[in-house]
Formats: sequence, C-alpha cells, structure tokens
Amino acid sequence: MVDEGLKIELGKQGVFVTTIQELYNWGRRSSIWPMQFGLACCAIEMIATTMARYDLARFGAEVFRPSPRQADLMIISGTVTKKMAPQVVRLYNQMAEPRYVIAMGACAISGGPFKQGYNVLKGIDRYIPVDVHIPGCPPRPEALLQAFITLQKKIDGQPLTGEGRPRYLDAEAQGEFPVPEQGEHDLEPTSNKGVWPIPVVIR
Amino acid sequence: MKTVEEIKAAIEAAVPGAVVEIVLNPSPSGQHSLRLAPGHAVEVAQFLRDDAELALDFLSNVTGVDWPDKEITEKVKVTRTVMKTVDGVEQQVEETVDEARKRVVPGYLEVVYHFFSMAKKHGPVVLRMRTVNRTDQVELPSLTPIWRSAEFQEREIFDLYGVVFTGHPDLRRLLMWDGFKDHPMRRDYVDPDDYEYEPTAHDAVLARAAAHKAAQQSASPEGTGVGQ
Amino acid sequence: MRAPKLDLTGPVCPNSLAKTQPKSGTLNRKDFIFKMASNPYFSLAVLFLAALGFGLAPLALAWLWARVFSPAKPNEVKNSIYECGLEARGDAWVQFRSAYYLYAIIFLIFDVEAVFLLPFAVAFTGLGAAACGAMLVFVLMLIEGLAWAWAKGVLTWA
Repeated sequence: MVDEGLKIELGKQGVFVTTIQELYNWGRRSSIWPMQFGLACCAIEMIATTMARYDLARFGAEVFRPSPRQADLMIISGTVTKKMAPQVVRLYNQMAEPRYVIAMGACAISGGPFKQGYNVLKGIDRYIPVDVHIPGCPPRPEALLQAFITLQKKIDGQPLTGEGRPRYLDAEAQGEFPVPEQGEHDLEPTSNKGVWPIPVVIR
Repeated sequence: MKTVEEIKAAIEAAVPGAVVEIVLNPSPSGQHSLRLAPGHAVEVAQFLRDDAELALDFLSNVTGVDWPDKEITEKVKVTRTVMKTVDGVEQQVEETVDEARKRVVPGYLEVVYHFFSMAKKHGPVVLRMRTVNRTDQVELPSLTPIWRSAEFQEREIFDLYGVVFTGHPDLRRLLMWDGFKDHPMRRDYVDPDDYEYEPTAHDAVLARAAAHKAAQQSASPEGTGVGQ
Repeated sequence: MRAPKLDLTGPVCPNSLAKTQPKSGTLNRKDFIFKMASNPYFSLAVLFLAALGFGLAPLALAWLWARVFSPAKPNEVKNSIYECGLEARGDAWVQFRSAYYLYAIIFLIFDVEAVFLLPFAVAFTGLGAAACGAMLVFVLMLIEGLAWAWAKGVLTWA
C-alpha cells in the first residue's frame, strides 16, 4: 500500500498510483446493478429513488435487471410474507456471486409494524445474509442513497486475498442458503441458524 | 331507500320460504342487518340484485366474524324441597332459591355482506349468514354466481375463518399457502412460536423470549458466541 | 599494345550482388519479410490480428482472473431454472405464432430475388432485349406469388 501523502504528491505531478485491489473494487462498486425486486410500499420509494429527482443511476445502478443471474444487488423493499419468503430465498440463491442484499424498511429488517401478523416473516435476515439495513417506514429516497453509498464503502474495503476476503472469493465458504419449506403451521425452519444466530440481549 | 323492515317484507314476498330476521344495531349508526337462513340464500341474492327498486348490483364487502362458544352463568329460580326447622319442628318445606347455572351457548361462524346500488345510488344493505357451529358444520352457500366480487373475498374467509362456501368456482386459500392447516382469524388461533429474539420485549413476549434463551443456552452450553 | 584479356567464361558483368542473391529455390529471412510487407493485403492482415487481439485479450484476462481469484461454486438451487422465485414446472415449449415464420420466409424469397436482380442490373447495358424479357418473366412469377400471399391475408400481422 502506498502512503497517502506520497499518493497525493505524485497525483499533483500527474502520476496515478493504485493497487489491483483498489481498481477491482472501484470497478465493482461503481456498477452495482440491482434486481427488479419490490414487495410493498418501500418499493415505491425505491422507484422514486430511481427517478429523476433522486437519481440512483448516477451512483452506478444504471439498470435494474429483471433476471437474478445478471444482478449484483437485491433490495428487499417491503414486507416479506411467509408465503413469499421461499421465493425470496430461492431468488437470492439464483443470483450470481458477488451478490449483496439491502434490507430496506422496517418490515424487511424485523417484520416492522406488522410483526404480529400471521403471515409476516419477522425480518428477511432470518434466511439470507444482509449487508445494509435501512430503518424507516418507508425510508426516504435519500436514506436509500445513503445505504447505497454505505454498500459501496463496504465493497471498497473488501480484500482480494487473506482472511477477510468475501465469501465468493473463498472456495470453501458455502454459497447456498437453504430454502424454507411451507409447513402446516409455519415456515420450516423458522430461521437459518448459520445466518441468524439468536442474539443475546445484554441488559 | 327502504327501511330494513320493508326490505325484509319485500324479500319474503318475492322468495317464499326465505327465512329473514332483523338483527338490530344499537349503535348510533343504526345500520341494522338482515340475517338470512342459508336455505334460500341464492334466490334471495338474485332477487336483491334484479329487483327494480332495490337494484343492489354492487357487493362492496364480504367479511367474516368468529363467535366463539359462550359460557353463560344464569340465575335460575329453582323450587326445591329442603329439610328446615320451622317453629322448632323439622319439616319438609318448599323453597325457591336462586341458583347459578352455567351453560354453554355454542358458537358459530358468521359471514356479513355489504351491498350498494350503483344504479339507484343507495345503500348499504347488510346481510348476515351464520353457520351451524364452528367445528364441523361450516358450510354456507356462495354468492359468487350472482356477484363476481364475492369470489376472492369468500376465498379469503375460507382461508382465515374456515367457512366452506358451496357453489364457489375456485375455493382455495388466498393469503396463506395451500398446505397451511390453521385458520388465522379465529379467536382460538395460536401464533407459531417464532419470537426467538425481541429487542424490546415486554410481558408475555418477554417470558417467551426468556424461555427461548434458556432453551438455547441449555442446548448449547458453550454459547452461540454472539454478544458474549 | 595488346588489350587486356577478358575472361569470358564466367558471367559477363561482374555481379557484386552475387553473394547476397539467393540460391535457386530457397528464400532467406530478409527476403521473405520483404515479400510479405510489400503484399497489398499485409496491412489488412495486421489490422485483423489487432482486432482479434483487442476482443480476445480481455476475455483471456478475465478467464485467468477467474481461475486465480473466483472459484466456481455451483449448487443445485443456483443452477435451477429461473421462474420468478418459484420452482419451475411445466414445459418450456410453447406454441408460437406462425406469423413469425411467414414473415421470415417471405423476406427470404424476395431477398434472394434481389440477389438475382443485382448482377442483372450491373450488366444491364450490355444485354439484349431477350435477356430483359427473361428477367421480366422471372420477376412476374415472383409478383404472382406476392399477389397470392397478399390475397391470402398473410401480409396482415394481426
């Protein structure tokens, strides 16, 4: 890694210094293509973010791909019902690595205002790993832009080699997340223990 | 628009054999409803839609109500013969005492229809139909052949309450998946226990979350490694 | 004074290039390159190879990168057929509109007709009246086919 001051000095002289990791991550974060995936009210805010006033395309989300194979990012916007949950997990599995998830809105984070509902999944992070959570009901388009920028910063920091490298660069790390079955009274299993270990609340 | 009594009279005149009862609504809105026996319901529905004066062509809402079994405690005057001392002599005397008797009024499922008229611009007319009980005799005639908007709404009531509509073209669950076994809107529905974690737990939820935590910690004594 | 004796047995003109001239039947490297470079299609070949390299080099780099950095991790759900998150069911063979086929076939017929008309048009001034008549018959046969297709309603898309 080059010293920052040296970089700036060289930059003033017209010499640009970088590493392959920086270049690679810059290419990846500047062209995150989300998947066309909206569930409920937060989807309307997501659509508003892609429109002229809050333009998401200037951050790299140029097109929303209809197919999961061509998408990098899945924005879970809206309440995930238990009837829809297996489809969300299956779509996430069908996305090609590297893939990221933004849980947008209270319902995607934890079930939101409808948490006691008989058909509401209490947060999509029970089944798939989520990179950025956006609180709000619904979060404003600026909040979604902030989440996008947070995701970009996260991608910037992902190393290519070594211990901290992301899942898709690791040959041993599993990339398959089991799809829940729709049982007689609830989804089976109720959560994926590997993705969502039950947190211990320290009071 | 006609009052409830007039509508009842019109129905009884048009469809002989129909059993109609007025259910009074004591609230300030005063929307009284008509309780219909399931026997001639389809003919009554046809009359309501095709009648020149009523012309109820818009079924705006179909909803269900679950009336669970009620346990009523009544004070009943009972005449009994008891041994009592009257003026020092033991005799058999007849006595009337108040006795508290409990009885169970069986519950039922109820389906409520709200009708409006687009042609005549009046409404609403409220109709009710009750099933025999909540357990096995839960059939009611479907009004989908007459008003198409009942199709999805009756499916929802079948899904959430368990009322089986005979004559419905496509009766299957709407909101829940087909393999689901419960009827969530019934009073005796128990939520599945998936409150493993609740950050601001309170009351019963806190008790359940504590039980989950205890079960998890006893299952894995080394701990989950999260938050420790 | 006698003239110097000329040696007329060998080559008449003393050839200074004798050493560098090729022996019969073999080409040395320099001449080969010279022959190649003076070929009029040489620059085209160079450009063709450059274009090919321009397209293939990023692909080769990507393949190398993937081999080194991104391991392939296929699994059953990832490779399953996409059907909006549901499990795919049913056949993918659907009955498509025959109008597509007719559109393509009619285009093909008239495209081939145009191909035949092109050399005729180029050589038109040198041909006699008989040739023109024969070509007219050819065009007339195809126009008859077009009229039949039109009357049959093939040209309406709906």
